Amino acid sequence: MSLTITCPICGKRNGYEFRFGGEERGPRPEEEGLTHEQWCKYVHMRNNTGGVQREWWYHRDGCGSWFTILRDTLTNLEVEGPEET
Amino acid sequence: MGPGIFHRLSRKKKQRILQKHPLHGSYDAVIIGGGLHGLATAYFLAKEWGITNVAVIERRYIGFGGSGRNTAIVRANQRTKENLPLYSEGLELWPKLTKELDFNLMFFNCGNLNLAHSEAALSSMRLLVASAQFHGIKSEIVDAKQCKEIVPILDISDRLTYPIMGGMYHPPGGTVRHDAVVWGLARGAVNLGVHIHQDTEALGINVQKGRIISVETSRGRISTPLVLNAAGAYSTLISAMVGIQLPINVLTIQAMVTQPLKPVLNHVVSSGAYHCYANQTLKGEIVTGAHMDPWPNYTTDVSAHYIKHQAEALTELMPCLKGVKFMRSWAGLADMTPDMAPIIDGNDHIKGYFMDCGWGYFGFKSGAVIGKYMAEFMATNRCPDRLAPFNLRRYEDHKMMGEIANPVNYGPWN
Repeated sequence: MSLTITCPICGKRNGYEFRFGGEERGPRPEEEGLTHEQWCKYVHMRNNTGGVQREWWYHRDGCGSWFTILRDTLTNLEVEGPEET
Repeated sequence: MGPGIFHRLSRKKKQRILQKHPLHGSYDAVIIGGGLHGLATAYFLAKEWGITNVAVIERRYIGFGGSGRNTAIVRANQRTKENLPLYSEGLELWPKLTKELDFNLMFFNCGNLNLAHSEAALSSMRLLVASAQFHGIKSEIVDAKQCKEIVPILDISDRLTYPIMGGMYHPPGGTVRHDAVVWGLARGAVNLGVHIHQDTEALGINVQKGRIISVETSRGRISTPLVLNAAGAYSTLISAMVGIQLPINVLTIQAMVTQPLKPVLNHVVSSGAYHCYANQTLKGEIVTGAHMDPWPNYTTDVSAHYIKHQAEALTELMPCLKGVKFMRSWAGLADMTPDMAPIIDGNDHIKGYFMDCGWGYFGFKSGAVIGKYMAEFMATNRCPDRLAPFNLRRYEDHKMMGEIANPVNYGPWN
């Protein structure tokens, strides 16, 4: 399906050039005192937002940079801030 | 639908398969999602456990989601000891359900041929075959020549980018008419007293003192002690209503059909390396499915990318299909879990809240049989042994299923 993603270096490109890197879910938790539950939440659990979410992308077939964008998962369109959920 | 159904219907007075019911203020159980899993659970709750005061609520219409968008393939050649017996029982259920529901589900056990294009794929199949045979399921390794005998239109020469080295043949698999299953189960459930409310969206789930008390819908509140989340791709959104996060990525998966042809393909053929599976329907169309678009979203858009990909894969594997036109393509949503196995749970954290989700692209094959066990779970409040390994806590306990190695390179990230 059509998806274009704006790479901070290469600009707006075909979505199939990129690899999805997951929804933004904050920093990796500290190892000290980490419980199974917290680790599982960080590694596996997802919000699967139906709407605008901040998410990571990797320009696999391009410059190789990692960056975040905002995308509406209901329309599959990139959106500009600040409608972050 | 077979002609028999029309006959019987017209002989009686013309009656709609689905009668409309008023939405009651309270039900013994509310099932969210009018797809195959929800309808099957409702049917078995009524039939096996006498719980008939059940509402199935569906945001759009029954079979709108994955139940009506899959490629109708059924099989039981998965990898793990937890999955195999379930899918095998599922296969045996189709002919029984056809009789029981008095609805032609068009089960066609033509057999599945899964192609291997590398030594690695063949060894992975050896493991699959050994696991299947251990569970008494018919499955065998075949060489390239045997592949050609099973499906004569295959090209087994070395002209292919990835020549066919052999395959895995699974005779009891095949196809089932997906719409028929949806309608058959819906009619079966309604005849036993279940209410199916289409155009009714679940907006919230109310919990009090750790128990389910009611569901807010777009048509008003329904009091109930039992809720089943069978919302397929939308299950994480339903789950969020009770504050439970799920390890699911929702990915779009595309499929398409060609123009109708004379019979040329009498089996389900699939190839992991080419990301392609195909079968010919009784109408003559070649139905083929693709890989998933590798980013989560809730749209069901299709793309030229996959039409091109499928055309290339199909015509390389079966060169006689060159020049055949695609008529139509569509997409459905797959709720993928990290270990390619579903999440089936209930009464954990919240009493009366049950989940049957995370099926990815296995939801169709499993629907009927899981409905049967899910109904037992909800009626008795005891998790049947068959479903126990699929609990949500397995991710916390590092007990993920080993389904992921089948086939190689399959996952939400590629």
